[in-house]
Amino acid sequence: MASRIGVERLSPLEPVYRSGSHGRFEDGVEVALSEIRPGSIVQVTAWPGEEQSAAAAIRAVTGLNMPDGPGGGVVASDQHAFGIAPGKFIVTVESEGLVAALVNAIPPAMGAVTDLSHGRTIIRIEGPKAEWVLAKFFAIDFALPAFPLGAGRSTSHHDIFAQIQRTGADRFDICVFRSFARSFWKALCHASAEVGYEVQ
Amino acid sequence: MTSRRTETGGRIDRFRTIRFTFDGASYTGHPGDTLASALLASGVSLFGRSFKYHRPRGVLTAGVDEPNALVTVLRGDVREPNVPATMVEIHDGLVAESQNRFPSLSWDIGALNQLAGKLISAGFYYKTFMGPVIGPLQGTRFWMFCEHFIRRAAGLGRAGKAPDTARYENMNAFCDVLVVGSGPAGLMAARTAAEAGKRVILAELDPVLGGSANWSGETIGEVPAADWAAEAIRDLQEFDSVRLLPRTTVWGYYDGNSLVALERVGDHKERFATDEPRHRQWTIRAGSVVLATGALERPLVFPGNDRPGVMLASAAKRYANEFGVLPGDKVAVFTNNDTAYGAALALKNAGARTVLIVDVRADVSADMRAIANELEAELLTGHAVVATEGGKALSGVTVQPFQAATGTASGEARNIHADGLLVSGGWSPAIHLASQAGARPEWDDGLQAFLPPQPTRKWTGAGAFNGAFSTAESIAQGVAAGMAVSGGGGQRFEPPAVVTVAGDPKPAPVLEIRADGKSFVDFQHDVTADDVRLAHREGFVSVEHLKRYTTLGMATDQGKTSNVPGLAIMAAALGKSIPEVGTTRFRPPFAGVSLGSLAAERFGDLRPERLTPMHDWHVEHGATMYSAGLWHRPQIYGDPGETIEQAYVRETRATRGSAGIVDVSTLGKIAVQGPDAAEFLDRVYTNMFSTLPVGKARYGLMLREDGIAFDDGTTWRLGERDFLMTTTTANAGKVMQHLEYFLDVIWPDLKVAVTSVTDQWAGAAIGGPNARKILQSVVTGTPVDDTALPFMGIVHGEIDGVPVMICRLSFSGEMAFEVYCGADWGTHVWEALMQAGKPYGLVPYGLEALGTMRIEKGHVTGAEIDGRTTARDLHLGWMLSKKKPFIGSAMMDREGLIASDRLQLVGIVALDNRPLSGGAHIVEELHEGNPHGSIGYLTACCYSPSLGKYIALALLEGGKARHGKRAFVSDPLRKRFGPVEIVSHHFFDPEGTRMHG
Repeated sequence: MASRIGVERLSPLEPVYRSGSHGRFEDGVEVALSEIRPGSIVQVTAWPGEEQSAAAAIRAVTGLNMPDGPGGGVVASDQHAFGIAPGKFIVTVESEGLVAALVNAIPPAMGAVTDLSHGRTIIRIEGPKAEWVLAKFFAIDFALPAFPLGAGRSTSHHDIFAQIQRTGADRFDICVFRSFARSFWKALCHASAEVGYEVQ
Repeated sequence: MTSRRTETGGRIDRFRTIRFTFDGASYTGHPGDTLASALLASGVSLFGRSFKYHRPRGVLTAGVDEPNALVTVLRGDVREPNVPATMVEIHDGLVAESQNRFPSLSWDIGALNQLAGKLISAGFYYKTFMGPVIGPLQGTRFWMFCEHFIRRAAGLGRAGKAPDTARYENMNAFCDVLVVGSGPAGLMAARTAAEAGKRVILAELDPVLGGSANWSGETIGEVPAADWAAEAIRDLQEFDSVRLLPRTTVWGYYDGNSLVALERVGDHKERFATDEPRHRQWTIRAGSVVLATGALERPLVFPGNDRPGVMLASAAKRYANEFGVLPGDKVAVFTNNDTAYGAALALKNAGARTVLIVDVRADVSADMRAIANELEAELLTGHAVVATEGGKALSGVTVQPFQAATGTASGEARNIHADGLLVSGGWSPAIHLASQAGARPEWDDGLQAFLPPQPTRKWTGAGAFNGAFSTAESIAQGVAAGMAVSGGGGQRFEPPAVVTVAGDPKPAPVLEIRADGKSFVDFQHDVTADDVRLAHREGFVSVEHLKRYTTLGMATDQGKTSNVPGLAIMAAALGKSIPEVGTTRFRPPFAGVSLGSLAAERFGDLRPERLTPMHDWHVEHGATMYSAGLWHRPQIYGDPGETIEQAYVRETRATRGSAGIVDVSTLGKIAVQGPDAAEFLDRVYTNMFSTLPVGKARYGLMLREDGIAFDDGTTWRLGERDFLMTTTTANAGKVMQHLEYFLDVIWPDLKVAVTSVTDQWAGAAIGGPNARKILQSVVTGTPVDDTALPFMGIVHGEIDGVPVMICRLSFSGEMAFEVYCGADWGTHVWEALMQAGKPYGLVPYGLEALGTMRIEKGHVTGAEIDGRTTARDLHLGWMLSKKKPFIGSAMMDREGLIASDRLQLVGIVALDNRPLSGGAHIVEELHEGNPHGSIGYLTACCYSPSLGKYIALALLEGGKARHGKRAFVSDPLRKRFGPVEIVSHHFFDPEGTRMHG
């Protein structure tokens, strides 16, 4: 992936990211797996009492209007945000440089802005069996009424911390630590094999 | 062997033939057959040998309650022992073996155990393994020697050693209503809940949904019950909100309405489908549960009741109706209730003759007499079977008048020829899951059974589970349960009419006929009625003790057929009623669970790998990777033929001689941000951080609250309110938790955010006399000379187009720099540094060289900060600020923590020029034969290229006071003894001149 810096950014999935159809796909693939490689992944922490202001600042910078409440989130075409913990939000956008814009919008008295653009890897699973495959990993109710579009959940798969956001009716983005991304990807491919999967 | 397959009937597909082998012989069956039904159809009557006495055993039941016909199923060399033949669906190529026999099922040496019956009665193990208390073998290990043979003789199937290549998976599921059991009650409950808009999961342990409707032979709503069930299943399939799980045994009921179920996805297939798991382990979190698990028929306890050919009446009916198999041509019935009459009728319809009905009751109803007439069978009321004849199959029974008052039989005995005996001792509701959920069952005198009490959790019972043994009642209760769990929703509908055989399921209160001979209560564990009474005579009065002493109900079938008869015998021995005696609580699993499915996706792949951004470079360049927690780190970059020691010595020499580079991306990195960040760090660290200028780093030490050293590392001040804390690799998670705990719980008023940024940064430490020159040749945008970048200084620049942050600090003792960049650029920057280092012979080095250089410098790591040492033990007392309190400061001066005899950090040099090992003890006087008198131990060892000696760090009593003294290393486990010298832990360049340049 090219960046403003001009030097290619190397994905942790590079050697194991094999495009094409895999597993039992004779009758068609039922999930598609991909890595989405946003320019910016930024965490915003609001001090107690400043949550609304921080959400407003995120809205001012990105246009993303997050609903209140734990796990509340919003999805626009190429940018997403959701609350990952009390007073904490993760914001993902296509372009680089979000951290600087948010630092400007969020003064130290309101909260803190942390750049995680290199530190997290976002893996997307999409398709009619996405919920089925994710049910192998997480004790979370992925059904649409329980996990609405835009909403997010912070959880873990054994040792791997994961923040999951529903970004489509049958699409989820899973944000994991970069160092675990390859292991998680391999596990996800393994779990998807039974329904046939395509790497895009 | 004669075929026992009926001409027509059954749910099997007679147009297809399946071939399989049992004990090496070939057999055939049809789709829909179980291993038990197919073998019975082929005339096989002998299925296995019993646990202790090696008695021949046949098939007692037709389902999950089977105690006798346990087999081992093989797939290639992979063995699965102890599977009830009644639960194995046959498929082409199925290979099964009988168990607990040698050399063969027909000729079994272990059958000699039958002669030793008295010696291996209740409490056999307890008595035997006490060992001889008198005689020549007293105090010897003779019984330990015998144990091997005894254990071999008693038992079940043999576990395999071949690796199981099948896949297993875990699934999580959520639903409003989980219905367990798909008989008429379960089907109706599921449909009612589904119609009310609920998310429903319906789990059925059999391959085909429908439960008793598949074999009852009844008519429901003017169609055969099986057709009615099939229609109800089709209705359920129409709902998107319903998930049907056949071949799924719900085996555990846990807190929070979490239930666990094993789905057998592939066992019935000749080959598993590509990438399909063999088993799925479902964890189901259910809003409500409908328990429609039915009831299990009980055998009667009488001499010879375990002979092949003796079968539960309901099982015989099921074999006839569902599989088109007859248990015999000429059968007898022995019962204490009406339901066995219906079974005999089913067998008649399928083509078997019932010659005799033996009923313990003095009289039976007119309806039952009518059935006996229709069967043209002799009806002997007030009689009991007191013996059976035959070897590997039944040839006849002996009957005698029965005296209900004494429970014994006397008077004229008659022998009657029969090749099958159908027995019924009444029915026990399958309340296992309710019992697991904490419900204390309630005894029902009429049904002679334990019934589920009022629910203790969010479950509702329906059907035979509740003791409602008629199909009409079950359907009504199923609908009611479905409405109850739907909050009153769902449609009430007119229940269909059920046409069935008349009969009252209430049995006479007779479960045992006391007569001479072995009368089995627990078939699988070979526990007889006399064993239960013996246990009582030996003083076991509690049902819990009885169970453990006799092992009654403790086999893999969990006493499904033996629980109530066992209690009845115990109660009689105690002179109490069954409810007074009480029952034991059922525990998970309800039926056997594969270990693979419990391990699931972690099977063969226990831990995830945590990889640094430069991982692939290391592997491509010959690094031997080493697991450090979940991380994979280069141990050495070995040249061909090099030993580990040769490699790290070479890497260390190259670094100290010119320059070396090591991947430090694994160091824990925590962004500490906010207006109170500096104040927070002052409280967390023993030393001061608020005074640290922006653009500088400082080494810091943390204590636990109890004053013991916790972790160390450098923290960099990147901005007024912005710090980058580094921790040791091993403690990164613990430090993060520690910080979050204090911010959330102790000091919520501090405006500080802590975020793990370990993965955000790739880190490379480059050190050695030429390290600065290499950096100067490759870094742009900032000078890196001593003025711009003094010790502990930080600069920002670029390397080959990538923004980097460089801090000058040293773990190796050399002039060294840590270069950080965005993780996705880690390999790019690393390669640029390697390229720039070429003229200087820059080498990558691994953990071994890293460790060697830190030992030479006397720097501590987790080996010394081990949760027992204090800052002063490690000569870090100078870091304990006296100007401020900090975590641990209140406790660190406790008497025990400042005692003069504490172990302190020292250096050790081997005087015999031989390697040392971590964990070896240091002693003042060497006694190889009687090692003692440890004054401390080694924490880390290496060969020091700088000193040309084997050295170690150690924690030693007396510490500094022993510098210059001699002692000995004593390592009896590894047989390493020898002289050492105790020295300062600063082995190399103690003044730090190399580091400061």
